[in-house]
Amino acid sequence: MAAVQGGLVDTKDEVDVKTEPASDGFGNNTANDSRLLSAPPGSSTAVGNNKPAAGTPEEQQTLLAVLQFLKKNKLSESAEILRREAGLPEDALDLKGTDASGSGQGGAAGSVDTEGGNANALLSRVTVSASAGVQAPTKAVGEDQPDVSVVLSAYSQQGDPALYDVYYSSLKKFIESVLDCHRAELSQVFYPLFVHMYLELVYNNHESEAKAFYEKFSGDQECYYEDDLRVLSSLTKKEHMRGNETLLDFRTSKFVLRISRDSYQLLKRHLQERQNNQIWNIIQEHLYIDIFDGMPRSKSQIDAMSGSLAGEARREANKAKVYYGLLKEPEIELPLDDEDEEAENEEGKPKKKKPKKDNVGSKSKKQDPNAPSQTRIPLPELKDSDKLDKIMYMKEATKKIRLGPDLLPSICFYTFLNAYQGLTAVDFTDDSSLIAGGFADSTVRVWSVTPKKLRKVKTAADLNLIDKESDDVLERIMDEKTASESKILYGHSGPVYGISFSPDRNYLLSSSEDATIRLWSLQTFTCLVGYKGHNYPVWDTQFSPHGYYFVSGGHDRVARLWATDHYQPLRIFAGHLADITCTRFHPNSNYVATGSSDRTIRLWDVLTGNCVRIFTGHKGPIHAITFSPNGKFLASGATDGRVLLWDIGHGLMVGELKGHTDTIYSLRFSRDGEILASGSMDNTVRLWDAMKAFDDLETDDFTAATGHIHLQDNSQELLLGTYTSKSTPVVHLHFTRRNLLLAAGAYNP
Amino acid sequence: MSAPKTIPKDAQVMIQILKDMGVTEYEPRVINQMLEFTYRYVTTIIEDAKIYATHAKKSSVDTDDIKLAIQCRMDQSFTSPPPRDFLLEVARQKNQTPLPLIKPYTGPRLPPDRYCLTAPNYRLKSIQKKVTPSAGRITVPRLSVGAVSSRPTTPTLGTPSVQSVSTKVGAPVSLTGQRFTVQIPPPSQTTKTTTPSTPAVSNVLINPSLIGSKNILITTNMVSQSASGDSLKRKHEDDDDYDAL
Repeated sequence: MAAVQGGLVDTKDEVDVKTEPASDGFGNNTANDSRLLSAPPGSSTAVGNNKPAAGTPEEQQTLLAVLQFLKKNKLSESAEILRREAGLPEDALDLKGTDASGSGQGGAAGSVDTEGGNANALLSRVTVSASAGVQAPTKAVGEDQPDVSVVLSAYSQQGDPALYDVYYSSLKKFIESVLDCHRAELSQVFYPLFVHMYLELVYNNHESEAKAFYEKFSGDQECYYEDDLRVLSSLTKKEHMRGNETLLDFRTSKFVLRISRDSYQLLKRHLQERQNNQIWNIIQEHLYIDIFDGMPRSKSQIDAMSGSLAGEARREANKAKVYYGLLKEPEIELPLDDEDEEAENEEGKPKKKKPKKDNVGSKSKKQDPNAPSQTRIPLPELKDSDKLDKIMYMKEATKKIRLGPDLLPSICFYTFLNAYQGLTAVDFTDDSSLIAGGFADSTVRVWSVTPKKLRKVKTAADLNLIDKESDDVLERIMDEKTASESKILYGHSGPVYGISFSPDRNYLLSSSEDATIRLWSLQTFTCLVGYKGHNYPVWDTQFSPHGYYFVSGGHDRVARLWATDHYQPLRIFAGHLADITCTRFHPNSNYVATGSSDRTIRLWDVLTGNCVRIFTGHKGPIHAITFSPNGKFLASGATDGRVLLWDIGHGLMVGELKGHTDTIYSLRFSRDGEILASGSMDNTVRLWDAMKAFDDLETDDFTAATGHIHLQDNSQELLLGTYTSKSTPVVHLHFTRRNLLLAAGAYNP
Repeated sequence: MSAPKTIPKDAQVMIQILKDMGVTEYEPRVINQMLEFTYRYVTTIIEDAKIYATHAKKSSVDTDDIKLAIQCRMDQSFTSPPPRDFLLEVARQKNQTPLPLIKPYTGPRLPPDRYCLTAPNYRLKSIQKKVTPSAGRITVPRLSVGAVSSRPTTPTLGTPSVQSVSTKVGAPVSLTGQRFTVQIPPPSQTTKTTTPSTPAVSNVLINPSLIGSKNILITTNMVSQSASGDSLKRKHEDDDDYDAL
C-alpha cells in the first residue's frame, strides 16, 4: 500500500481484482457492484465486530486519513458525502466506518487508495460502511493528520496475536479431516495464509509471536516455497519490510487459488461457523479464489501448476485471443542461379516459388486465421540487402537436414577458454557467421566463426577515393588493415548480461548491469547509441526477428519495447512481481514473452502492451524461454531443472520434461520444430522429441475451460540424448540453417 | 575448513550469518567481501550520524541520528525499484500511444544525433597567440585539441568539418578567400564538455594579409588526437604546439 504516495489509479483490471474478494465469494467473477451489495450480508459474521470496535483510535485515524486523502485529491463531493454520512461536523477529522467486513481495513482501505480517482466506488463503499455501523465523531480537529500511506497500509489488528497459532492449527485440523478429494485443493490455502498471518504479526510489532508462529508452521509448507520462506524468516521487524519490494507486491496483489466449488463451500461453511474467523477475513482480503465447477483437482495437478509467487493464473488472464501464427513471408523472385544442384526456377516463373523449403508453416495463399495481419504492428520494409539475405536463407534451407528421433543433429560446442567465469552472455547471428560474448569485465567481444575476418569500414577520407560504381563496392568499403579474427567493444561500465545480433547483421545490442542498453555497429565496431530507461541492471535483451524493435527486461520488474530510432521505450510491460530474467520475441514479432524470478512467464501483446497470458508452474526463477518455429508453443526452463511446454493458443501447460539436475540456461527448437535442445549448468545438452510432445494433446472443452491438465510422465521417452561436456556449462544454443546444433559455454574447471 | 582458531571472530560471525540466511555454497573470498562491505557500511553510517549529531548540537550520537543516517543512505544508495502500481500506471499511459509508423528508406535508423554517441567527443581549444605583429590584433584561432578524456569508444562516424582544412596543407595560396569552419569553443567551457553540446562554430575568413608562413603553421598544426587510435581521419602532426591542458 505504499502505492498511495502518488495517489495513482491502478488499471481497471487491478481495481476489479482488488474489490472482488471482499464479496462472499460467490460472485467472484462478477463486477464491482456485486461486491458492494453482498458485502453487508456476507460480512454478517464480522459485522458484530464493527460496533464495539468502532471507537478505536486506529479506525478513527483511518477515517481521518481517508478524508484527508479525498481532500488532497480534490474529491470534494466525496469528502462532503463522507462527512455527511459519517455524521461529522465541518472540518472534523472523523472516523470512517470500517469496511463492512470489519477487519478488512487494510484491504478495503487499500482498495480505496487505488480507486482514489474512482469516486463512485468510494462513495458506495462509504455508504455501505455507513450502513454497517457508523461511529460518532470523536477526534478533535487539528490533530496531526495521520499519513495516509501509513494508516492505509496497516494490517489491522485482527485479534489477539497469541491466538493466531490456535486459528491456524484449527484450520489445519479441519483440512486434514475433510475428504481426500478436497484435501489437496484446500491445502493450497496454507501457504498464502501462513505468509499473510506472519506478515501481520510482524507488521503489528509482535515479534516474538511472529517468530513462534514461524517456527511452528513453516515446516508444513510445500518444499518449493522454501526460498520464499527463508526470505520471510529474515523479516522480523516492521522496518525490514519497507525495503523489500517483492514482499510489498505480495501483500498488495492477490494470491490466486483455483478451487472447485464443492471444496470451497466446505471451507466457507467451516470458517463462517466460527466466532473469530480472522482467517476468513484474511482470505477475503488477500486471496482471490477462482472457483470452477467440476471435479476437484488432484495433488499432482495442483503441484504442476503452482509454485509462483502469486499463486496461479486466473482463468480470465488466459482467455484473450493471441495471434500465434506466423507472418506471411514476402514473395521474392529468385534470380537465375547456376550453382544450385536442384532444378532452380528462373526469373519470370513466379509459380515455382519457394514453398519447397517449408517457409515455416506459412499457408502460402490463404490468410492463417491465427496469424496477425501484416500491418498489425508497423514493421520495417525489406531493403535490397534484406532480400538478398532472404534468398541466401532459402538456399540454405534447401540443404537443411530433417531431424527426427532417428536422425539427431550433430553438436558443435564453442568453448570459451580463459574466461575465468566471466562469460555472462552469448549470441550467434542467424546464419551462424559471428559469435558475440558479453563478459563480466564489461567488454563485448565479437568473433568470426567463418574464415572470413572482421573488418571495419574505411574512414570517410578513404571512402571518397573508392570507385562507387564498381561491382564489389561492398568489399571495397572495408578496410583491409583492420582485419582481425575478433574485435573487442568497450563502453559498458558493468557486466554485460544480455546480447543480441540484429537479423541483418548490422547491429549488436548489449545490455548491462549499468542499466543501459548499447547499440553497436558491426560495420565500424563502435557504439552508436546508449538507451537509458531502466535504472537497474538489465538482465536480458533481444532484437525482434524482423529487426528495428528490441525488448529488454531487468531488475526493475518491467520489460520495455524499444525501436532503434527512439531514445525512449515505445511500450512498457509491467506486471511481474520480481525481476525479469529473460525476454524473447515471438516469431511474428507481435508478442513478447518474459520470464521472471517470480516463477511465472507472461506473454505481452506489443500492440497494446497488455499481458495476454500468464503461465505458472515453475518452481524457480526462469532463465530460458524459446518459441517453437511455428509460433504455437513456448518452452521454458528454470532453476528447478525442468523444461515446461506451453500451448499459447489455449494457455495451457502441455508437457514437462524432467531430466536436468541444475538450472537450464538455454533452450532452442530446431529449425522445423522437431527437436528441442536444452543446455544447463549441469554441463549437459539434452535433446527432446518435440514432435511427439506436441502430438497428442487432449484439448477437450473441459481442459480448455478450466485449464486443468493431465500431464503424462513421459519425459524418459521424449529424451533422445544426453551429451555431457567436460565441465562446461552450456550458456547458449543455436541451430544453424542446416540444422547443425551449435552450443557455447565457458570452460569452468 | 581450517580450524576455527585461525579465523578471526568477525569472519566467524559472518560465516554464521551466511548459514542462517541459508547460503550454503560460496567461495571463500565471499566472507572477505562481505566483511569489507559491512565495515564500510557501518563506518559510513556512523560518520553520517556523527555529522547529524553535531548539526543538532548534541554531545553524543544517539539512536535518532543513526536512524536518520540509515534512512538517508537507503534513499541514496540502496534504492529499490518503484512500486508495482506506479509501474502499472506509467505503463498504462505509455502503452496508450500507438506504435509510430516507420519511415521507409531512411538509412540507419538511429535516434536524433543528440541522443546518439556518434558525435566526436573532443573539442578544439582556441589559443591566443601573436601571429603577425604587423597585422594588428587579429587573433588567429589556433586549432589544437583539448583534453580528451580517454574513451576508447570514440565514435568516429561524424566528420568534424575542420578536417577539410588539413587536406589543404601545402597549398597556402588556395587559402585565400576561402571559408573555413573553425570550432572555437567559448573560453568558459570546461574541458570536459560532453558531446551533445555543440561547440560554437564560426566561419573565419582568412585574410590574405595573414597568409604567410605562420598561417601554414595553423593548418599543419591541426593535431588530431582521439582516444582510440583507430580509423581516424586525421594524421598526427607536430606535438610541439599542443597546449597542456
